[in-house]
Amino acid sequence: MSTLSDTYKDPINLEVLRRRQRMRQKMAKHGGGCIPPMDLFRSEAMHLVQLIVPIESAHLTVSYLGDIGLIQFKDLNAEKSPFQRTYASQIKRCGEMTRKLRFFNDQMSKAGITRSSKSVARADMHLEDLEAKLGELEAELIEVNANNEKLQHGYSELTEYKLVLQKAGEFFKDAQISASARQKEISPDLPAESLATPLLKDHESSHDLSKQVRLGFVTGLVPKEKAMAFERIIFRATRGNVLLRQVALEEAVVDPTSGQKVQKNIFVVFFSGERLKSKIVKISEAFAVNRYPFTEDMGKQTQMITEVSGRLSELKMTIEAGLQHRGTLLRRIGEQYEQWNQVVHKEKSIYHILNMLSIDVTKKCLVAEGWSPKYATKKIQNALQQAAIDSSSQVGTIFRVLHTKKLPPTYFRTNKFTESFQAIVDAYGVAKYQEANPGVFTVVTFPFLFAVMFGDWGHGICLLLATLYIISKEKKFSGQKLGDIMEMAFGGRYVILLMSIFSIYTGLIYNEFFSVPFALFGPSAYACRDASCSDSTTVGLVKVRDTYPFGVDPSWHGTRSELPFLNSLKMKMSILLGVAQMNLGIMLSFFNALFQFIPQMIFLNGLFGYLSLLIVAKWYTGSKADLYHIMIYMFLSPTDDLGENQLFENQKTVQLVLLLLSLIAVPWMLLPKPYILKARHKTRHQDESYALLDDNDDSLHGEADRDSDDQEFEFSEVFVHQLIHTIEFVLGAVSNTASYLRLWALSLAHSELSAVFYEKVLLLAWGYNNVIILIVGIIVFIFATAGVLLVMETLSAFLHALRLHWVEFQNKFYEGDGYKFRPFSFALLNNEDESS
Amino acid sequence: MGFLLTTLVFVVIGIVASLCARICCNKGPSANLLHLTLVITATVCCWMMWAIVYLAQMNPLIVPILSESE
Repeated sequence: MSTLSDTYKDPINLEVLRRRQRMRQKMAKHGGGCIPPMDLFRSEAMHLVQLIVPIESAHLTVSYLGDIGLIQFKDLNAEKSPFQRTYASQIKRCGEMTRKLRFFNDQMSKAGITRSSKSVARADMHLEDLEAKLGELEAELIEVNANNEKLQHGYSELTEYKLVLQKAGEFFKDAQISASARQKEISPDLPAESLATPLLKDHESSHDLSKQVRLGFVTGLVPKEKAMAFERIIFRATRGNVLLRQVALEEAVVDPTSGQKVQKNIFVVFFSGERLKSKIVKISEAFAVNRYPFTEDMGKQTQMITEVSGRLSELKMTIEAGLQHRGTLLRRIGEQYEQWNQVVHKEKSIYHILNMLSIDVTKKCLVAEGWSPKYATKKIQNALQQAAIDSSSQVGTIFRVLHTKKLPPTYFRTNKFTESFQAIVDAYGVAKYQEANPGVFTVVTFPFLFAVMFGDWGHGICLLLATLYIISKEKKFSGQKLGDIMEMAFGGRYVILLMSIFSIYTGLIYNEFFSVPFALFGPSAYACRDASCSDSTTVGLVKVRDTYPFGVDPSWHGTRSELPFLNSLKMKMSILLGVAQMNLGIMLSFFNALFQFIPQMIFLNGLFGYLSLLIVAKWYTGSKADLYHIMIYMFLSPTDDLGENQLFENQKTVQLVLLLLSLIAVPWMLLPKPYILKARHKTRHQDESYALLDDNDDSLHGEADRDSDDQEFEFSEVFVHQLIHTIEFVLGAVSNTASYLRLWALSLAHSELSAVFYEKVLLLAWGYNNVIILIVGIIVFIFATAGVLLVMETLSAFLHALRLHWVEFQNKFYEGDGYKFRPFSFALLNNEDESS
Repeated sequence: MGFLLTTLVFVVIGIVASLCARICCNKGPSANLLHLTLVITATVCCWMMWAIVYLAQMNPLIVPILSESE
């Protein structure tokens, strides 16, 4: 074993070591076979890049990189607080501008002005100009609002005063009329002009009685809800020595202080004495009553009324002019609002990113680090060049690739079709960097398993039509903001499209069109035993022709033995499909880690693959063997004779061999992996010490954040992990296979529901021979089908197909502990903005 | 015989579909491989389902027993 220094000096040896290291990395990534690369099967190759950007072109560079949207920047200033960062003040400015924009938005919605979604695209505006403009607009708007409020306050006060004048005037006028009437009754020769308030019975003194008795009054408005309480308290406080008259106003008046419309009553309180006056005044203030002065003199009253009316109309004109001015202002804002919003948002995000870059000591350049896919290198370099040119800086940006051991983020290049399927997989867990992606197969198997549970070509056609409609309106819907449920349906439109197409296929196989079978592919294989069909209800039909060529024979529907037959068929089908999918899962694990798939294959296929074989053999030969019996006694007494349960020759030997192989497979799953990993770790460490030395000058930062998870290797931990994995697999083999029986369960539920709706609603309504009942029946049938079968069953089958994929399929091979690639991109920011 | 014949039909349909996929959307070797995988998976799934239902009816152990017509 050559020493370290010897190997370092020998260049050829070094080359060999490097090559071996690279081969090992490649093997670890691609598992065993070197299959040609397939889109979407593994996540994109990523590398860590380092950009050294001169300060004058920093802003523009980040802006162009945001347009491309293919770099995920790393936060190099993570230890600093938000206030310590370089561009904190800029972000604060952007925050201020956002606040102003939000204020404008509020004002516009209050005034009922809608902002145009597509604003006039003016030339690029600079942040400072925009800031100044927003500032002055805000000041103007605040001023206009304040003026408006003041004017409104004055207006409502005057309105109230006018009402008081009118109504109280009526009080006094009525009083005068009745007083003069009474006067005429009692003493007809008294002059008509000496009037007293009618409320006084004491009419001995003729002239101004109020002056003699010093009767005062208070007029005002009190809110209707408080009117009774007001009256009661005044009565109590003054010991009943006052008189209160109230009249309710029919319309609500705008209260000057609160600005709301309130139902009010006009009241007049008559009292004598100063003490009572002060009490009444205090009580009115407590009740927030608006008091207004009032003169008894009739002439002055009319004069006041005309004066007030004049002032009211003036005020109204002023207020309207003010509102109009505000309206034009807001409209002007509304036109440009969207564009301003976007600019501010964009700038804010650019400064956020700039804050993440670490600033060099000389303050002349910024250093950025980030993940980016390898294929985007050219694009990024072009953008950097463009930014350097546009900002007329003298130095270009430096672009370097760093070597690191950290786990890169996972990035799948999906189009709008595969995006939703990948989202289904990601919802469970984002794939680890470059592990086999189940999304590839999910595109087909997910809609297929859904269809196995949904199987009705009538319902499938309905779903297809609905989805085609949504897809045809794709462009329109993608611009709009949809409700939550519609958003989910729209996002998954291609999934639902495939689901409906497969449903039509499985519907044809199950031969169900809204639960009605049709003989579309030829005649049914069954017929009566004799011409009279006498024993068709006891012994049944008999198979006279070849098997019905495509799907379930239409003769089965409605018979007594339909359920036993279909149940047996569907249960066995579920097992067969389940074993097939689980095998696919195990084979995918081959692409992730070589050795563990062989014992797993042996175990699963030795038991459940054998069961599948027995099912097919029983169908093919038509024997009456009891499969339960065979499987159970294979374990309980494997050496016993099979007797009538024999399906093929040497079955006993085959079963014994399979049992033995399965038993061997269990320790094979458990033991080798920990030891092999241990040996690998040892050899890797020996090579790594060499790699350390010559990578030193390559990476500046790579060393500092080297992951330590492959430095430590706890053997006991790995062993326990493998033990758990083995037990999970062995027990899971039984439970997962049984779990696939939900394919049978749901398809049974679907066909039974559909049959019930058809027979008990539609046929029942048909039987009455009445048009109205028929129409009602059809409507009920349509609603029941749409609500229960098309919506609820779809969701239910979707959910169960999802579960089968996430648990039974993916736990055979999927690790799913990666993290998603989130690049800095303006397009993504806009989407987030709209959804928030 | 019907079984083998129809299986052959499925194989032919599968080949035709993959050729169509290759002609319509030819976007480079890795994308082509993806399309091929999807088409083959779909064909295999559809064939399996048909084959299971067909095999189950080839040698039936129970026959349809009509229910009493009311």
